[in-house]
Formats: sequence, C-alpha cells, structure tokens
Amino acid sequence: MNRDPYAIALNNAMTEIKKAYPDVQSSFIFTKEGTILTEDQETDQKTMDNLKESFENLKEKTKAIGKLESFYIMAKNGKITLSKIKDLHLLLVTSKNANKNQIHSITNIIIPTILKTMETLTSTQNQLTPSKKLMVDTLTGFFAGDSVQIDTEILKTWTKTGNESLAHIRNVLTGEQTIPENIEQVKIETFGGKSTLCKVKEIKEQKMKGKNMIKIPEKICKSLEIKKGDLVKVEPAL
Amino acid sequence: MADTKNETEDTKTEFEELQEQLKEIKDQEGIIGYILRDQKSASIDLKDPRRIVDYAVLSSTAFDASHEMTEFLQTGEPKKMVLESEETKLLLMNVNNHRLSLFMEKDVNHNKLYKKLK
Repeated sequence: MNRDPYAIALNNAMTEIKKAYPDVQSSFIFTKEGTILTEDQETDQKTMDNLKESFENLKEKTKAIGKLESFYIMAKNGKITLSKIKDLHLLLVTSKNANKNQIHSITNIIIPTILKTMETLTSTQNQLTPSKKLMVDTLTGFFAGDSVQIDTEILKTWTKTGNESLAHIRNVLTGEQTIPENIEQVKIETFGGKSTLCKVKEIKEQKMKGKNMIKIPEKICKSLEIKKGDLVKVEPAL
Repeated sequence: MADTKNETEDTKTEFEELQEQLKEIKDQEGIIGYILRDQKSASIDLKDPRRIVDYAVLSSTAFDASHEMTEFLQTGEPKKMVLESEETKLLLMNVNNHRLSLFMEKDVNHNKLYKKLK
C-alpha cells in the first residue's frame, strides 16, 4: 500500500465509506499516471495489475474523443463506476441494487470534498514546515529497528515552525487545543519518486550532529531503492 | 434444418428492425453515429467518416475493458456501458448478439435510447 499520508487518509476515507454504504463492495483510486493510490485489502496484486492495465488502455484510446471522464458498467451481478475526480480516477464496485443517488454522492460530493480538504491541509503544512534535503547513512545490525534518526536541531526547527500550523489544523478538525511537542513521524521522499512514512528519533552519535544527515535502517533503504550518500527530501508528517 | 432456417430468418428480421431503429435514432439531435458489429460483419454510420478508425478502436477497447473489469471484479456479464469524455458520450450494449456502440453528445439522454434499443 502507498504510505503517502495523502494516500493513507484517502484509504481511511474509503474504508469508512464502505462501512457507511454496505452496497459499496470495493474501491480503488488511480492517479492520472495509472499508479494505484488506494486499494481494496481483499483484492490480490494480480487483479490490481490487470485492472490497472485495462484502465490505462481505455484511458489511452478514449483520447480520440477527449479525456476520459467516466466509465460505467451495469453488469449482471453488480455495477462498476469509474469517475474522474480532479487528477484522480475513482473505481467503485457496488452491488447491482446500489442506489444511483448514493453512487453520485460518493463520486461527486464526498470524495471531492475529502480531496479538497486534504489539499488545503497539505499546502498549509508544506508552507510552514518545509522539507529538508538530507544525506543518507544506513543503520545496520540487529538493533537497527524501524525508526530513522535525524539531528535534534532539525527536529526542533520543525516543531517550532510546525506547531502553529498543526495546532491550527487540529483545532479546525477536532476543536481540541493540544499542541504536539515532538515530531513522531517523518515523510521521506527519494528523487526517484518513492516515499514512505517512518517513525523518527534523535540522532545519537555526537559526531553525526549538525551534518544534515539522516540515518535510515537498511531494510527501509532497500524498499526506497537508496544507498548511503544519496540525498532524500524529509519533512515532518502531520 | 428447418429450425435453423427459421432461427436465421428471425435473427435477420430482428437485425433489420434494429438497423431501422438505429437509422431513426441517428437523425436525432446530438447523435454522432453508431457502430454495429457481429462476428462476421460491421455496419458503421458516422457523421464524420474520417474518424471511423478512431471510433472503431475505442468501441472495441471499451467492450474489451468492460469484459475484463467485470471478470476481474466478478460482477458477471456486462449489460450496459456508458463512457464519457470531455466532449462525447458513448453507449455500449449487446443487442441480439450484436455489439452496438452509439456515439452522442454529452447532453443526450442515453437511458432513453438504451430502453428503446434493449
């Protein structure tokens, strides 16, 4: 599953929609490049790959009459609705008795509203907590764990600049007045376009401090396809 | 033998009826044209004949995609498909073992046409 906070939030939203609308059997969100952003936990990888291929092919051939906006299939035992929402495509699988108005609400009101809210939150966070380019050092050995390590000073800067915006966003969403004291997670993005969310700790070794470095466990380096000495973009996760 | 002959005649009549209906529909406002295919032949009537290849490829891809998607997602045989682009709408359906693709402008009521043709 995509570990981007945006994708995680969308995935959670889709899970809640599925609970609220029992006629929704599964859902997938594709980016305009065909990458699957959120997926159904019960659908296997082969099916996902096949769906992606069908979607890509259809999108390509539809260019003859303009950009693909929607594709609806009424089948013997269910309905499939593919809708374009901004730069994304939502594929919704519903039972054959699914209410037309419910499908319309999900594709035209609920998901667009969630996307709009997410964009507002992301842009506010990005403005006030800028990402840093840090050099990778690998964490190896039995105690490497699954947390990355960053210089305390960088974490402090983010906490200071981020508190105001995070507090504002949380206040708007929850009505609570709590301000986070520490950054618990960071988003790491490679220049090859891969990204992940990781727990973060302060860097322990004195000699590594103030060098704009990030220590990343070897297994995370492998999944991100990066090695020691590479540069990555790092920002605190909301 | 006689049964097979009767069946062929029935199919022919149904096919002719369908073609007549399509001719009528084609003259309606907002209809761009249609492609009617069976295993052996195809009947194509489009307002802009220069776009026959593009439209035929799209029609075939949309039918294939609907069969693939319904198979992957186990929703059973596809009955009716509607594809919308920025400018155009395409209604796809199976009528008497023929694959029908009806191209129209976006404001045309495709449900009305589907009910008429099914």
